[in-house]
Amino acid sequence: MSTAKIMQQGKVVPWLYILPALLVIVIFIVYPVVNTTVLSFRDRTGERPASIACIPGETCWGVFENYRYTLTNPEMVTALRNNALWLLVMVPLTVAAGLLVAVLADKVGYESLVKAVIFMPMAISFIGAGVIWRFMYAIEAGQANQIGLLNGILVKLGAQPVAWLSTAGINNFALMVVGTWLWAGFCMTILSAALKGLPTEVLEAARVDGATEWHLFWRVMVPMILPTITVVTTTMVIIILKIFDIVFVMTGGNFGTEVIANRMFKLIVTDKGRSTAIAVFLLILTIPLMIYNVHRFRQEEAMR
Amino acid sequence: MKTQKMLFKLFILLVGLSMLLAACRPAQPTAAPTTQPPPPPVETAPPAETQPPVVAPAIDCMGAAAGDELTVMYQWSGAEEEKINAIFKPFVDACGVSIVAESTRDAAVLDTRVKSDAPDLLFWPTTAPLTLYTDQLQDLGQLGASAANYAGFWVELGSVSGRWLALPVKADIKSIIWYSPVQFEAFGYTVPTTFAELDALVEQMVADGNVPWSTGFESGAATGWTGSDFIQDLLLVQQGPEYVMGLISGDVAYDDAGVVQAYETYVKWASDETYTVGGATGTVNTPFLDAIYKVFSDPPEAMMVKQSGFAGGEVAKQFPDLEYGVDYDFFAFPGAQGMQGGADFLMAFGDSAAARAMVAYLTSAEGASAWARAGFDLSPNKWATGKYTDVQLAKKAAALAGAAGFTPDLGDTVPAPFGEAEWRAIIEAVQGGDIATALAAAATAQTEGLSQ
Repeated sequence: MSTAKIMQQGKVVPWLYILPALLVIVIFIVYPVVNTTVLSFRDRTGERPASIACIPGETCWGVFENYRYTLTNPEMVTALRNNALWLLVMVPLTVAAGLLVAVLADKVGYESLVKAVIFMPMAISFIGAGVIWRFMYAIEAGQANQIGLLNGILVKLGAQPVAWLSTAGINNFALMVVGTWLWAGFCMTILSAALKGLPTEVLEAARVDGATEWHLFWRVMVPMILPTITVVTTTMVIIILKIFDIVFVMTGGNFGTEVIANRMFKLIVTDKGRSTAIAVFLLILTIPLMIYNVHRFRQEEAMR
Repeated sequence: MKTQKMLFKLFILLVGLSMLLAACRPAQPTAAPTTQPPPPPVETAPPAETQPPVVAPAIDCMGAAAGDELTVMYQWSGAEEEKINAIFKPFVDACGVSIVAESTRDAAVLDTRVKSDAPDLLFWPTTAPLTLYTDQLQDLGQLGASAANYAGFWVELGSVSGRWLALPVKADIKSIIWYSPVQFEAFGYTVPTTFAELDALVEQMVADGNVPWSTGFESGAATGWTGSDFIQDLLLVQQGPEYVMGLISGDVAYDDAGVVQAYETYVKWASDETYTVGGATGTVNTPFLDAIYKVFSDPPEAMMVKQSGFAGGEVAKQFPDLEYGVDYDFFAFPGAQGMQGGADFLMAFGDSAAARAMVAYLTSAEGASAWARAGFDLSPNKWATGKYTDVQLAKKAAALAGAAGFTPDLGDTVPAPFGEAEWRAIIEAVQGGDIATALAAAATAQTEGLSQ
């Protein structure tokens, strides 16, 4: 028997190899997704069609009733608007902060210390971080002492305390600061690794040609690590679309800080249909980004 | 040598297994009062002092023989379970029935039991079983419960289409306001007995430069529930208990003019710095426990706080030097036509002689005084009045006895999305939002939550 014959496998054997992985994927990913999608067309008990919740004389989308809720309910509209705001503010903020620290830390001797400090919040549970920041933002409206750090400082300086978490217009940004604090370290680590991977010859050549550090950064470094920046950005978009812990712990979605995932969580026990419709909607939002990310990854692999 | 090693391994394995088994073993059914240590030293002497007709032999065993088993299910454990056992004790002593108790908070456990081997009697903190097991439940009147010992509204609360299926045996009231008698005396304030007097007192306090209320209601994801209790009391004053029950059942829309009126009163008190600590910002940001403390701190930041009975315990914990009745006390919400509170309901699945005898005992004068003596919150039974040994309970009992109705806490009773929408509406209204707009969203959630 020739070696080629031994090496050749039948049509069945490869499937056997991937069977364990396939099983895991089917049980933990495919089945839940299918089931969630089915439930999103049912009513709040998960047993009857969603159209049953329609009120005669009012707009109704039939079996898509839960999606009508997802897209038009005032609470949901607030949540959608806030998620968009989170994306617009926090994605650039985390990526920019991460890049800035990565570039600057690269130039100093205590780089690992800086990076450790910036990365540290990632080690804290997000719930814990939310609790910590609640104290940072705490306000004492009566005569007792300000125990919140920010208001403590404000009052010491003779200013009025600010209700960071309950004042519309401020509270969403106050929450985003916490998000940035948590996630900037993640961006920094990946971007820093990409920077370290840049061939020194190119940078030296640029310097020899008389490029300033500013030019070096914008014309050489950024273009070269652009693929990584893109991956980090899309990852952050996915993470922020699903943002939940911070809002849940710090405001519970009150005071106009509602986000999509918090609505989903609040409804899961009482209204399966709506909750799963929101889940499917979130999934639909993230899928294109996932595909893009995987696509980029494959391209990069192919280039190597 | 090898055998020794093997034996040792076996030993380790056995120890491990037995530890595992011990860990898995269900908690001992603590209840069976037959094996209970002697009852607490409550007056075992002749109980009758003020009401001569109540005498000990009033317990009717209704043919239940000694050794008969009675299965009961409840959510109580620990100190609460001790109290219910103390209440069962006279009955057990008189009839020799042995009580087999199961304690669970899990509605799923109840469901399984009802479908397989239902307990004879069930004590449950909601009336949810009424709709779930309407057909399996026995009519309490037919079992021998004495309806005459209860105000009509108690019986109504547990009746489904003419059948009397549940009876609140234990109740606690929430329609109370805590204050500092010392401060009231210092400023010459008197405890109001009507809503007009309360309103006047509030204005008087403002005129004196005092802050009347501490309305802080921050409570994480449940922020707003304290406001919900306050508004329900205002509704009980302005509209009455039937109106509140209508809100719960959906017969009255949550954006009705009556609700708007209650919100207006509440918002006036809870969003202005002259009426409450820190104004609207204080109300939405101050944790509800801190709100209680502010009335009893030195110097106090406010004169009154509307909070349920647990506030007394919180004050005692936070300020161990303060004395109940002197430094802190409470009065029933003035002018409330009916009380807001929580209740535990007695329901019966079995109609054995022992079950009949127990139902008869618990609804009798004898059962009521045992309940009051045990101090297990309040008994709605008329005969419990005057039998309480605890001063705070006695005072609450007096308020309850004079109540024209009883409504469960709306926020706890309605479907969760409606409850949450209500809290949101309160927060919005306090923060200066338009009341009508805020209530419209809650009314939508009410309709959606109650529709099938």
